[in-house]
Amino acid sequence: MIAVAADMERETMPDLMDLLSLLPKIIPMECMESGFVQRALFGLVLLAPMAACMGVQVVNFRMAFFADAISHSAFAGVAIGLLFAANPHWTMLVLGLLVGLSIMAVQRRSSLSSDTVIGVFFSAVIAFGLTVVSHYKNVARDVNQFLYGGITTIDTTELWELMALFVVLMAFQVWGYNRMLYIGMNPSLAQVHRVRVAIYQYLYAALLALVVIFSVWAVGVLLVTAMLIVPAASARNFSRTAGGMVWWAMAISVFSAVAGLLISTQPWADTATGATVILIAFLCFLISAGVAYLRGDSSR
Amino acid sequence: MTQVVDEKVKSGATVTFEDVTVAYGDNTVLDHVSATVPAGSATAIVGPNGAGKTTLLLSLLGEVSYQGKILFRNSQTENGAVYKPRIGYVPQRLSFDRGMPLTVLEFMVMGWQRMPLWFGVHAEFRERAMELLGFVKAEQLETRRLGALSGGELQRVLLALALGQEPDLLVLDEPAAGVDIRGGFLFCELLEKIRQTKRFTQLMVSHDLATVTHHATHVICLNRNVAAEGHPKQVLTNETLTAIFGLHMGLIDRRAMPEGGTTCTASCCNGDCRECDQSEGRRSSVRLRAGGSGMLQSEKAESGSEENGACDCGCGGHGKGDDA
Repeated sequence: MIAVAADMERETMPDLMDLLSLLPKIIPMECMESGFVQRALFGLVLLAPMAACMGVQVVNFRMAFFADAISHSAFAGVAIGLLFAANPHWTMLVLGLLVGLSIMAVQRRSSLSSDTVIGVFFSAVIAFGLTVVSHYKNVARDVNQFLYGGITTIDTTELWELMALFVVLMAFQVWGYNRMLYIGMNPSLAQVHRVRVAIYQYLYAALLALVVIFSVWAVGVLLVTAMLIVPAASARNFSRTAGGMVWWAMAISVFSAVAGLLISTQPWADTATGATVILIAFLCFLISAGVAYLRGDSSR
Repeated sequence: MTQVVDEKVKSGATVTFEDVTVAYGDNTVLDHVSATVPAGSATAIVGPNGAGKTTLLLSLLGEVSYQGKILFRNSQTENGAVYKPRIGYVPQRLSFDRGMPLTVLEFMVMGWQRMPLWFGVHAEFRERAMELLGFVKAEQLETRRLGALSGGELQRVLLALALGQEPDLLVLDEPAAGVDIRGGFLFCELLEKIRQTKRFTQLMVSHDLATVTHHATHVICLNRNVAAEGHPKQVLTNETLTAIFGLHMGLIDRRAMPEGGTTCTASCCNGDCRECDQSEGRRSSVRLRAGGSGMLQSEKAESGSEENGACDCGCGGHGKGDDA
């Protein structure tokens, strides 16, 4: 699917450029004139709703640690890229996918608790990454990208990949949101009541892995989990229904992404984009916590 | 009202356990369990802690791997063909995130509606959900958050969810746990009414003998293997109870029942215990086996069940004696 997107890109590249050049008209700010801010904004506007949607399930099913493990596998992905002289972008994606699916497979079969299973994988990928990276001394650029992300260096190929992922992921969410809710409540109950739990779980793990790896690319490994859970956690405070929670999460996520990018590119700020985005999201969370407190359901 | 369902119009699934064995490593939890859950019955699995009650249930639900066979049949497949029944499951404790924003209505429709709940609940599904909630007397809970429900309310909503499966077989794990005696009693009353309207087979695990005597039509006494099986009045004798529980527990005092238990609605009683004693006594066959730990003397047990003409269900007024 990503290869197809890359083919399409060669044919329809001008369209995307046209689209991007519209952005300064929508947001009339000086910083919007530069191409990298346009691409970054477009990338974030694609990534934010995806992270928000998946984040709703991450929060409701307590899977933050799972997302964390996948994001850290990106480090091992960079290491594999070094070993085989491959593009780290691809090795990160493939390894993230592998780790996500393996954790899900072991979790479904093992009697170990899920955080133990995840912890085992987590430490393995980190150890592998450290071992390899410690051998190669001059990999500072890749490691920096891994730690802090670089949404402002995103190119049009990556934007096409993101768009393809966006379509697939949103299709999955529309198709499976209700059943995922069922599985999240209680997998055994869902299974007995004829929900095909395994398919949903594997698809979810795969898509989550892809979103997480793209988020590592955008905001860096330290902030990936935040990108997933902060908007969803705020949404949980604002919303009273499972349906409404998704809209809240998406709104908060897109708002903080756009606001974070615009602030970080102002000359007076000149901050790391990823961190600024998360800070804005955190402000939304504080407001939501206040709302929840005033409404008096903080104790429940 | 609580007429024992006629054999001919019975529907629901018959479940046959054939030599079901489950072992975790060296620990044999179920040892060659063979038992039958008759179609349309309210069957209870009773036994002490660690007897394998829940394991048997999980084997049935396919959550635990086992040796042996669990077969399902129904009246449509009378020639003995095995089919896959629609199962409704009411778990004992639903461990879920209570802070999660999810309304009772959303919970009810999440298994039916494909369109994501972001776009609301479709009128057709809402209607169906409300009908089911009506069955369990929980319509007023529609807009409540699932996490804010009390134990009894949650249990009724879970029952409604299970009924939404249009089950041939309704499986309940400890329906009386987590609610007080009165709540458990009312829940079982409700369940019995629904079972007779919807005509499914009901299988429950319970350690609460009061619930069992009042609401079961068939009992399987389990202590790693089947110690006894049959009608509650024949099976739940002091001898069997002593055999499987070790210590004699006795049956619950009737004064603990709501309204002093003057209106017994147990399936076994039908308002007149003497009469049903006779008919039930002839119909149901009691099987007693020497259990590994229980060492039940079958001779004694048989004589026990013969002389035991009294209604043990604690309904009062009709029984010849309260206890043997």
